[in-house]
Amino acid sequence: MTFVPARAGAVARKEWFHIRRDPFTLALALVLPLLMVIVYGVAIDFNVKEIHLAVSDLDQSQASRRLIDTFSSSHYFRPRPEASAALATADLSDERARAALIIPPRFEKDLLAGRGAKVQILLDGADNSTVGPISQYVASIQALASRRLAGVDPSPPYQLRTRFLFNPELNSRWFVIPGLTVVIMAILSIFLTALTVAREWENGSMELLLSTPVEPIEIIVGKAAPYAALGILATAFVYVIARGVFGVPFAGHLWVFALGCLLFLVTYLAQGLLISVLTRQQTIAMQFSMLTGMLPSNLLSGFIFPIASMPRLFWYLTMLLPARWFMVISRHAFLEGSGFSELAVPFAALALSCATMVALAARSFRRTLE
Amino acid sequence: MSGVSISVEGARKSFAGCEALKGVSLEFGAGRMHGIIGPEGSGKTTLLRLILGLLSPTSGAARYFEDGRPVAFESLRPSLAYMPQTQSLYPDLSIQEHLEFFRDLYGIGAADYSRKREELLSITRLGEFVERPAGQLSGGMYKKLALMCALLRSPRVMILDEPTTGVDPISRRELWDLLYRLLDQNILILVTTAYLDEAERCSMVHLLEGGLVVACGEPRALLEREGAGSFDELFLRRAAVRPA
Repeated sequence: MTFVPARAGAVARKEWFHIRRDPFTLALALVLPLLMVIVYGVAIDFNVKEIHLAVSDLDQSQASRRLIDTFSSSHYFRPRPEASAALATADLSDERARAALIIPPRFEKDLLAGRGAKVQILLDGADNSTVGPISQYVASIQALASRRLAGVDPSPPYQLRTRFLFNPELNSRWFVIPGLTVVIMAILSIFLTALTVAREWENGSMELLLSTPVEPIEIIVGKAAPYAALGILATAFVYVIARGVFGVPFAGHLWVFALGCLLFLVTYLAQGLLISVLTRQQTIAMQFSMLTGMLPSNLLSGFIFPIASMPRLFWYLTMLLPARWFMVISRHAFLEGSGFSELAVPFAALALSCATMVALAARSFRRTLE
Repeated sequence: MSGVSISVEGARKSFAGCEALKGVSLEFGAGRMHGIIGPEGSGKTTLLRLILGLLSPTSGAARYFEDGRPVAFESLRPSLAYMPQTQSLYPDLSIQEHLEFFRDLYGIGAADYSRKREELLSITRLGEFVERPAGQLSGGMYKKLALMCALLRSPRVMILDEPTTGVDPISRRELWDLLYRLLDQNILILVTTAYLDEAERCSMVHLLEGGLVVACGEPRALLEREGAGSFDELFLRRAAVRPA
């Protein structure tokens, strides 16, 4: 089997014409990265701030005011006074508040008498995404409030000082945006290439193409090339936005990140082509690419949901996903400045996935109609 | 014998238990136009696809000869031109873009391409439509474009699957005129057709029925042998005696 670059180039040029003239492909390639950066970069913020706290202060004492002040001065909570415990609870169910603080009438007296004063905090358990961070804030505010209300600041026998490396302010955008490159590349590469060979079969043009001297490998390379260019452009776009607009630091080597991008891109392009060659129908190819490419890269790559807390079976399953490994490379390259020695395992896994997928795609493409 | 000839020997082909070809043996001599005719489902397209290597026979084989000497199919592939029955061009690509695409696939040099392009555009009279996308061409123009793409690199074997189906009578005549010009260049032409009057334009006719060759010969001789005045009459007579 010979590889003639001019023939692969002819296929690539033809494919580029299709892309330019197909509104669906163009929209997906140009609008999707922009939309995802806006949604994930601007609209979605995993840092919970400005939490509305319904406060029912039935004690109206100096101690109760100091407790409320501890909450408001933390900048995480915005107190909203209510006349009764029932009204504060109603705020929670009406979603006017995400937490309620109920201070009973004898709070200060119990505190001064050393009878173990009790304060109730109500959290909206139905809102699973915020209840975790809020309860952590409450715990740290409780420790601070205890010291302030006791009027003393006893030095503990030891101090646990936490410093967050790589992302000192725990800015969720720094965490999410490097992961976006993975999701956007996965969508562009798998989804679009999965349709391209299937479209040739559905249009009847594959029969003519196979009767020409063009080799399967030239068709594969020619078809993948324009989508690879789109994927690289989208990644460059996300990189520029991440650095320029969201101020995400890039601590690593650009070429480490670029090599990771290339391996990931080739893997998913090959996977898209494999799907397309096997299904030969655009609707089925689309469903397969959703199932094997887009969903896992969103849900099982560690993009949003931590892999460490997944059930064992899913944890093992993620080992097979190229998106999981590229997610590690991307985040480490951006935030931690890791090099090849630190990223040896993700790179090895990604290279293995890439070689396997390219081999499968090349073998599956036959020069017959059967 | 100069030129390319093809021999099909005992070719059988089954699809999911259904036998499309039931042991077809045919000789396609060089430099002639062979018409393969038969009712729908008789195995015409399957036979062409076997010859083109697009399908593998369940048993039997197609053999290829160049100037009387056997050659491998792969060495002949660059000399084969094919025009499928189904619409096989790209609706969003213009005539010009199609010609350039096939020029690059066949590796045709700039000078050859330029000469061939002008010649084909002149014969097909598509010169003024070169920027028009294939999806906006009429049936006849579309077929002419498909033929132009096939003829761009001067093939030695031309295989056409129902090239005139869905084409108006004037365009049909033009297409046949184009094919006759090829015969002057000692090209082997295999053509299937649903229009029986066209069978008489071929140098040899092979009649397929139910995956078998039932008659072969020069058109006039074949009709005389079968005792029919035309291929229409022959077909109607055979259809009447064929089990449903």
